[in-house]
Amino acid sequence: MSEQALKPAFWGGPWMRANLFLGMTFREYARSLVTPANAVAAAILLAGLPTIAYRFWKGLGATTNLSQTNAWGIWVAFDVVCGVALAAGGYTVACAVYVFGQKAYRPILRPAILTGFLGYALVLFGLIVDLGQPWRLPYQFFLTPGTTAVMYEVGWCVFLYLMVLGLEFAPAALEWLGLVKLRRLLGSLTIGIIVLGVTLSTLHQSSLGAFFLMTPGKLHPLWYSPFLPIFFFISSITAGIGMVVVESALSHRAFHDRLDPAAPVDLDRITLGLAKGGAIVLFAYFFVRLQGLVSSGRFDLLATGWGAWYLFEMLGFILLPSFLFAFAARRSSAKLARIAGVLTVLGVILNRFNVSLIAFNWNVPDRYVPSAGEIITSLTIVTIGVLIFRWIVNRMPVVHEHPDWRGAH
Amino acid sequence: MNGTELLSPYTAKTLEYVLAVSYLLLFIPFWRFVQGEAVPAHALGFGWFQVPNGVHLHAGHAWARPEGGAVEVGLDDFAHKLVGPLEKVRFPEIGAPVRQGQKAFTIVAGGQPLDVLSPVDGHVVEVNEAVRLHPADALRDPYGAGWLMKVEPRWLTGNLKNLFSGEAARRFLDAAAGRLAQHLTPQLGVVLQDGGTPVHGIARALDEDHWDELARRFLEGK
Amino acid sequence: MDLNRRTLFKLAAAAGTAGVAGAAAKARASAVPAARGARGVLVDTTRCVGCRACEAACAEANALAGPEKPGDDTVFASKRSTSPTAYTVVQKGSLKSPAGEDRFAKTQCMHCVQPACASGCVVRALEKTAEGPVVYHKDRCLGCRYCMIACPFGVPKYEFSKAAPLVRKCTFCAERQAKGLAPACTEVCPSGALEFGMRADLLEEAKTRIYANPGKYVHKIYGEDEAGGTSWLYISDVPFESLRLPSGIERKSYPELADGALSAVPFVITLWPPLLMGMYTFSKRRDEVAAKEGDGRQEGRHV
Repeated sequence: MSEQALKPAFWGGPWMRANLFLGMTFREYARSLVTPANAVAAAILLAGLPTIAYRFWKGLGATTNLSQTNAWGIWVAFDVVCGVALAAGGYTVACAVYVFGQKAYRPILRPAILTGFLGYALVLFGLIVDLGQPWRLPYQFFLTPGTTAVMYEVGWCVFLYLMVLGLEFAPAALEWLGLVKLRRLLGSLTIGIIVLGVTLSTLHQSSLGAFFLMTPGKLHPLWYSPFLPIFFFISSITAGIGMVVVESALSHRAFHDRLDPAAPVDLDRITLGLAKGGAIVLFAYFFVRLQGLVSSGRFDLLATGWGAWYLFEMLGFILLPSFLFAFAARRSSAKLARIAGVLTVLGVILNRFNVSLIAFNWNVPDRYVPSAGEIITSLTIVTIGVLIFRWIVNRMPVVHEHPDWRGAH
Repeated sequence: MNGTELLSPYTAKTLEYVLAVSYLLLFIPFWRFVQGEAVPAHALGFGWFQVPNGVHLHAGHAWARPEGGAVEVGLDDFAHKLVGPLEKVRFPEIGAPVRQGQKAFTIVAGGQPLDVLSPVDGHVVEVNEAVRLHPADALRDPYGAGWLMKVEPRWLTGNLKNLFSGEAARRFLDAAAGRLAQHLTPQLGVVLQDGGTPVHGIARALDEDHWDELARRFLEGK
Repeated sequence: MDLNRRTLFKLAAAAGTAGVAGAAAKARASAVPAARGARGVLVDTTRCVGCRACEAACAEANALAGPEKPGDDTVFASKRSTSPTAYTVVQKGSLKSPAGEDRFAKTQCMHCVQPACASGCVVRALEKTAEGPVVYHKDRCLGCRYCMIACPFGVPKYEFSKAAPLVRKCTFCAERQAKGLAPACTEVCPSGALEFGMRADLLEEAKTRIYANPGKYVHKIYGEDEAGGTSWLYISDVPFESLRLPSGIERKSYPELADGALSAVPFVITLWPPLLMGMYTFSKRRDEVAAKEGDGRQEGRHV
């Protein structure tokens, strides 16, 4: 069934059926959508979309646990701050393939860019949900720019980078649509777009850390550091590597029938290559964080409860995955590498949560706990991302090459 | 910036330098550990299956060698040893089109017909008549006299991107050997490590009843 | 203690040393010089009786609902905070004065000389004016609430319950000041605890009061270099923490803390492209050379 679904999408058939309904009739396609996974997704959306509508109708207070002391909740901590970090696979793999010439990673480049593009789009969506008056977002660009603000730089960077990601992914869409001239034009601009993307990413990934430079009294000293921007930048690279390891493994399984049997991808070998990179970067990141600790001189805090939590993050989610990646590369175990990848991703989420939510306002009596509405909203945003990802990969040349463009990208 | 200054500036700065230098000292062995040669995970030794330079392998174990305007095509060392001596080769017609990843010709071994996928796009211009007459000889020189057909390529540069050569090809064969090794019985492992090859092909020695399914999986590039 | 010539000289010497030491300390705690015409308010908590007339005047001047439980002292039982509808609240101190009196302190936006909120505002909704007030432009604010995150005094409050919410805080009666009037709270204070004037003058006044009454006041002006200096200055005869004034405030301006990161931005924009293009060219060249040497490496064409 899947082989037949693949063929009409490439070699003819009415456009709608071929390109939208995966070669099936509308009725067949609709029926094929009834799966347990889709049922779960539908349930989430059924709960989440009305919640988001309610948030806009009744205001933030009605749906969130935000307060005057806790102005930022999980919509900022997860959807924005984590979201940007976890979408970093786009620029790290693009840099590896184009700037460093590591062509072995080309098969995972398009999925990584797609993850990045959708990730940033969802960050924007999450931001719109969280802002008090989101329709005023363009004011920072066109009306009264606050050029001294870190957020101004982040705003421009994310805005431009979203467009860069769109341009980086566009060749896949253009191949799908058969727009040859446009596709060729874009191909000639690739390296320029990639360099711009890496530069923008460096800036805004580190600036997310710069947000908290002005909060030394509110962020726990074990996490506060004047080097926060550097920590965030390096951990965005580890997040990119971890996400790509995990996402490529999941995609390979989920979209197995989209793979091209004539061009087999040795995903295990790619994963082990990523593992080597991940081991080194995590190792360096661990020591950079240690330098931050030495710089602050607050070893006394390691003996506290917060110190234990800090060590838990450092040892369990930075040093441990570094070693696991190293052993995985040594033992040629792609499976161990994937476990390390998961730990790395969890580690970045933990770190971002610590800096923006958990170790932030650590000394305040009324601590924030997300409301059900906030949780379901964040879940909805992620679900929408996964659904769009799946829709695109099932149709466009992301995990396989378009036969007319083999080897062209 | 910070509340308590627990360390004197000299101690603090010294500590920073000590940490930085310690990191450098630890980094060197860590780097070497990570980049070092991977410990082989299977019993079959490296380089047990051969592939010479200049030859490009397809995932279905057919090989292609560009020669002048045409491309020489054959079956690689691994596949030959896997299926054993060929009993017959069903060649396509001269002029017939072939597509990369699609069936090019059929070999018959141990009474079973097995499809081989073409490594390139193009059309057939010549077949090896010597092999047609004596198929079993192809095993002896799979990359030389054992060539099977010549193809005029349609888009060589594009096709070559999907093929393995040099180091990549050797790694590909080692990986295939590794997957094969998962089926090894202890006695057979001893035989293979001594350099011997089962007379009727490795696949048959591994699984008498379902060897053709095993062989087919490799020949289909999975 | 009698103020005779000897004591005066002792005091002057002490003040001089303190001044030098203070200057040295100031070199570390970098107070930002305020604009020439900057106004401020000196809050002398030894004079505040907790009548909360300032709260009532503020509510009236800003068309807010009146203060919480006017005239009812039970509001002082726990720590109070400002809200979207109460720009200023009077706190009761946890310690009594050396003479056994209750102490109170009016809290509101400190109108810092270099405010974290204004420097961090992405649309300049919060803006520091030369006259001193940090004003809020409600038609610009997009509700990111970063001002609330950044403010070390926890001042800005948000209208979470509204569909088009705004940030609310003390305005320092900027509109009244523009008309030549004093802020409503300072006009109404019956005990003279609030004195409105030029910040520089108020600093001198505060120092004079401290040195003229050596045993009385705590030898510090809260707001002199807190957050690099604030427009609202406090002097007191009890520790400032007991008055619920936040301790642990940096003694340099908060925007300075983000300076390093922000100033690196142009350098990254300038240096990254040539660095990356250089690496790209290097790896492309290396692959071209390898391909020419033709050792069979065919891992794909370099773009």
